[in-house]
Formats: sequence, C-alpha cells, structure tokens
Amino acid sequence: MSGTAKITDLAIPLGSGPRWAMVRAHFGIGAFGVNAYVADEPGVAVIGEHDELGNLSGRHEELYFVSAGHATFTVEGDEIDAPAGTFVFVRDPAAKRGAIATEAGTTIVIAGGKPGEAFTPSAWERSAPALNYFATQDYDKAIEEFERLRAEAPDDPGLLYNLACAESLGGRTADALAHLSRAVELDPDFRRLAEKDSDFDPIRSEPEFASAVAGEPGADGSGA
Amino acid sequence: MTEKAYEVAHLDELDRFPVDEEGLVWRPVRRRLGIRAFGTNAYTAEKAGDRVVEEHLERDGHEELYLVANGRATFTLGDDEIDAPEGTLVYATPGTKRGAVAVEPETTIVAFGAKPGVPHEISGWEGIFVAHGHLKNGEEEQGRQAMAAALAERPNDWQGQYNAACFESLTGNKEAAIAHLQRAIELDPKAREFAEKDSDFDWLRADSEFPA
Repeated sequence: MSGTAKITDLAIPLGSGPRWAMVRAHFGIGAFGVNAYVADEPGVAVIGEHDELGNLSGRHEELYFVSAGHATFTVEGDEIDAPAGTFVFVRDPAAKRGAIATEAGTTIVIAGGKPGEAFTPSAWERSAPALNYFATQDYDKAIEEFERLRAEAPDDPGLLYNLACAESLGGRTADALAHLSRAVELDPDFRRLAEKDSDFDPIRSEPEFASAVAGEPGADGSGA
Repeated sequence: MTEKAYEVAHLDELDRFPVDEEGLVWRPVRRRLGIRAFGTNAYTAEKAGDRVVEEHLERDGHEELYLVANGRATFTLGDDEIDAPEGTLVYATPGTKRGAVAVEPETTIVAFGAKPGVPHEISGWEGIFVAHGHLKNGEEEQGRQAMAAALAERPNDWQGQYNAACFESLTGNKEAAIAHLQRAIELDPKAREFAEKDSDFDWLRADSEFPA
C-alpha cells in the first residue's frame, strides 16, 4: 500500500552502531532493496565495512546516497569525502566498502539489486523483524521469529548465526552453542565474526565456546 | 577494459534537463553512474511552486520510492495531500496517482523504481529525455547525438521515432521530421492521433506531406 514516513521516525537503535530504518520492509517494496542508516554521533560506522559476497549478502550492486550530514567512505581502500547530496555507487559486489559519519545526524539511504535478476530480499534482511526485538531485549520473541524463518530455510548460516546471538543474549546457552557451531560449519566466515561479537559475551567463557566457534558438530554435546 | 568498482557523483554535478513547462528539471542518476539493477533519478524544482514530480501513474508496473533530499514539497498521493520536508519518504504502488510541487526553491527529490518479480529493464524514455533536455538547454548538437544513440538502441520503438520527429520539427528539419513520424505511424498507428494534437508539429501541419 502506498504511504509515507520520515527516515528519522523509522530508524531503530542497533546496539552501539547507527540506527537502522527498514525502509523496504516498512513499505513492503518487492522490486528493489532499500534501507537507511542514521548516525546520531560523529565517528559512528554508519555503513559497516562489508562486501556483497557473503552468504548473508545478495551479491547486489549498491547505491549509497548521503541524504543528511557528512561521511567518509572507504571503497576498495580509496577514501571518499561524502557531504550530503553525494551518491556512491558500488557496482562490484567484491568491493569492500564502509563509511564513517563525520557529523551527527548523518543519514545514508542504500538501494540495491542484482542486475539481470528479479529482486529477492537478502537473507540478512529477512531477519529484520527478529532483529527489531534485540533493541527491546525481547530475545524470546526474536528466537520465535528466527525459528519461524528457519522452518523455511533450515541451513541458512546467517539465520542460524543470528538465532545463536538471540539465544546467547536470552540465556539459552546450549541452544546458542549448537546453532553457532552449525552456522560456522556452514560458513566459516562466521568464525571471525563470532570471535568479536559482543552478543556472545554471555557464553564466551563456556568450555564449549571454542569448539562451537571452530564449527565442530556436537559442540554442546547434542550434535544439533 | 574492466569497469571501475565504484562511481561517485554529487547532486550538484548532475545534468539539469528541463522536462515540462511547470519547472520540472530531470537530473539523471542511473545513466550517470551506470546502475543496471533498478531505476533512479533526481528531480529539482528551481523555484517554490514549480513541479518536482510529474503527476502520473506507473502504467508499466513500477513501484516507486521518493526521497525528499533537499527543501520541501507537497505530494499528492491518491486523494491525499502530504507535506514532505527533507528526509521524507513517499512510496507509491503502480496504480496510485502521485505528483509533487516544491514549497521551497531548489527542492530536490531522488526517486527509486523497478517492477517486482522481473529483472530491471532500463526505461526507453531516458535517452529521449536527454535529447530533448539538451535541446531545451540550447545544445542542439548534443541533443541530436543523444537522439541518434536512443534510436540506435531501440530502432523499432514507435515512441523513439515519434520523439525524433518532434526533435526534427522543433529544429526546423521538415524532411527528417516527416520521415520519423511516418516510421512511428508504421510502427503504431496511434502515433498519428498524438501528432494531430501535438504543438511540436504546428508549423508543419498544413504541409501536404505531413502524415497526420
């Protein structure tokens, strides 16, 4: 249904990072990807460094538009000064890109899609409704939402990783270890992420954490 | 030759192509950056009261999202009127009539669009708009080159031939105008109905060779 919204009203907190406005999901847009991030303070990584090759990514070409504030982009090692009104288009999914806000209120709108293919939402974005519950620390509801998605895609490593995050924060240690182990087994890139991810602080001192991050099946003894 | 991994442009660097008599100015983004997966363009109204989004439906099934990047606009969305300051998003389904008028000078709107469920196809109107935009800016030769490129991409598209006829008529080239219009009518007879009422052909209409 047609509608209207202000980016700042849609943006929800994401831990210590930027606020995230789930624009595509809010309007139910099916033809292209679109989201926005708002940095309330300078120095915030308003676009976290990433490429579009990982399992969670859609291998999209991406257009970043600085709609407010000022940011410094880094793309393929090149530093780009990006005041409000700047478009940065990254056509190569393999290009590493990220941006740091240099002013409070810096807002970046991102649109994406894969040339020559009908748009489908990236796996990470399907997790958006569940990730919403992280902001309110309602981890049971987040787990419920991830489990619903997992029924459709049982071996999606991104979903399993996010599920493990929610379980770790929600005190479900054994489940968190099992699902983290499975995520790393399916995509070893999650090992590096898990080592630094504060969502796993509650379970990091568990004896089985090291083997879970190593992606060893049965890290919790269940073989799940 | 390999393509660059990325491109950068600022709104201030984009071309300005006048579109209509209501002040709408098209600022090509997709063409400038080489985006292929979805459509995106900016539109600027230089003065308050100028049009910044043409009133229209998306008959080809595109979903469209508009972002007020600078200034302030009043949108019409279906039967609703919406005050849209900077940072406002307006989403329109294909069947919803939409349009916007600037409330402040230099109001700029960035639009994103594509059709769900199918790979994105680059709209044929872009090349035509570039050609006519150059002409309105007094850059006839650049316009002619843009029109030739647009026709080369879609030689059997009646709208392209029709717009080439308009271009030639507006630049006083009778024979070329008539040839393109005849080709447009061959491709789709409804070109004749458009030509009968189109003021671009007023000076040619009385000519015995004029096909409409």
